[in-house]
Amino acid sequence: MSKYFTSIMLVLLMGYSVNAQNDSIVNDSIRYTQKYGLRVGVDLSKIVQTAIDDDYTGFEINADYRYSKNLYIAGELGTEEKTTSTNFLNSTASGSYIKAGIDYNMYKNWFGMENMIYSGFRLGASTFSQTINSYTIFNTNQDFSQTTVTDAANINGLTAIWAELILGIKAEVINNLYVGLNVQFKGRVSETEPDNFENIYIPGFGRTYDSGRFGIGFGYNVSYLIPLYKKGK
Amino acid sequence: MKKIIVLFLLFSAFYSCEKDDICSESTPTTPKLIIRFYDISSQEETKNVTGLRVTAFDENNIEVLISNLNIVTTDSISLPLRTDANLTKFVLYKDYVDDVTIGNPDTVTIRYEREDVYVSRACGFRTIFNNLTFSFENDGDNWIVNDEVINSLIDNETTAHVKIFH
Repeated sequence: MSKYFTSIMLVLLMGYSVNAQNDSIVNDSIRYTQKYGLRVGVDLSKIVQTAIDDDYTGFEINADYRYSKNLYIAGELGTEEKTTSTNFLNSTASGSYIKAGIDYNMYKNWFGMENMIYSGFRLGASTFSQTINSYTIFNTNQDFSQTTVTDAANINGLTAIWAELILGIKAEVINNLYVGLNVQFKGRVSETEPDNFENIYIPGFGRTYDSGRFGIGFGYNVSYLIPLYKKGK
Repeated sequence: MKKIIVLFLLFSAFYSCEKDDICSESTPTTPKLIIRFYDISSQEETKNVTGLRVTAFDENNIEVLISNLNIVTTDSISLPLRTDANLTKFVLYKDYVDDVTIGNPDTVTIRYEREDVYVSRACGFRTIFNNLTFSFENDGDNWIVNDEVINSLIDNETTAHVKIFH
């Protein structure tokens, strides 16, 4: 976790210095208009994790459309495959997901800036499968050697639906190019409970916890704004 | 900006506190077979077996000693069952002294059907045993006289599964 945290802090600092640069471009004579359009991007953290983590493959496209001054219609489409292993169990979850909702910009931009500190809401849905690659039978008695079962069980046709609260930032680093960082708090609304197993990892939702239906995720997005029109404040 | 930093601190704390991936010792495990010894002449009464030593044949057909059952006097034992086969063969020695004076060995075969039941992500699966049957070989000098399976499903260790009369 510490490696993620360090990179998150770096990104925050980067974003901050970019903001500071933009502040100097002030010109009273220009009419205050802002860009409206469709912003399309990818989650860079998933691409990086795919590259460095053998147990993970993931890709996510995200988009938002500016509906009004502070309101954006937003969504994500992605696919993930994740292998989870503990001392006794090794399983892989694989599937795709879609999330749709809104982002609300809470940040009052200075003149000429179009950055966001936003909170958002999403409804997410995933269809996925889980494969039990192997398990070692849990037995506190050690008189016989441990039994490991490797004939994989494959559980298909699993689904899950969840809600997300998002907090994040988006900063325009160069014209129309944005980097953003967000954290997602999730709660499952419904899910298919597999027979004699559980959903260890749900694509789009992330890992599940024994404590209940809540989860957490984060994203580091790079996105490009396709400006459609400009509109005054 | 400060709020977001606090948020990410909380986020990292949330991750590191999670203990779901460690299998706790108190988790229900693969149960053992519980045998109680009864008096053949007074079948309601339990009766101690003296100098009892129990061994079992493992997957390589090698005789291994069952832990805590090396020359004990008791009216109740719990035996681990093999989770890689549908039977476990035990040798129950009565009045065992040492390698030379082995007392009276009786060979017992426990047959069952295995079912692996999901426990948790940390502990994986445990095995429970269905349709238990008990048999002992007639060697002409058995100290075991009779047996009775009182619970053919082994999914816990709270009550006895088999009675042996001697």
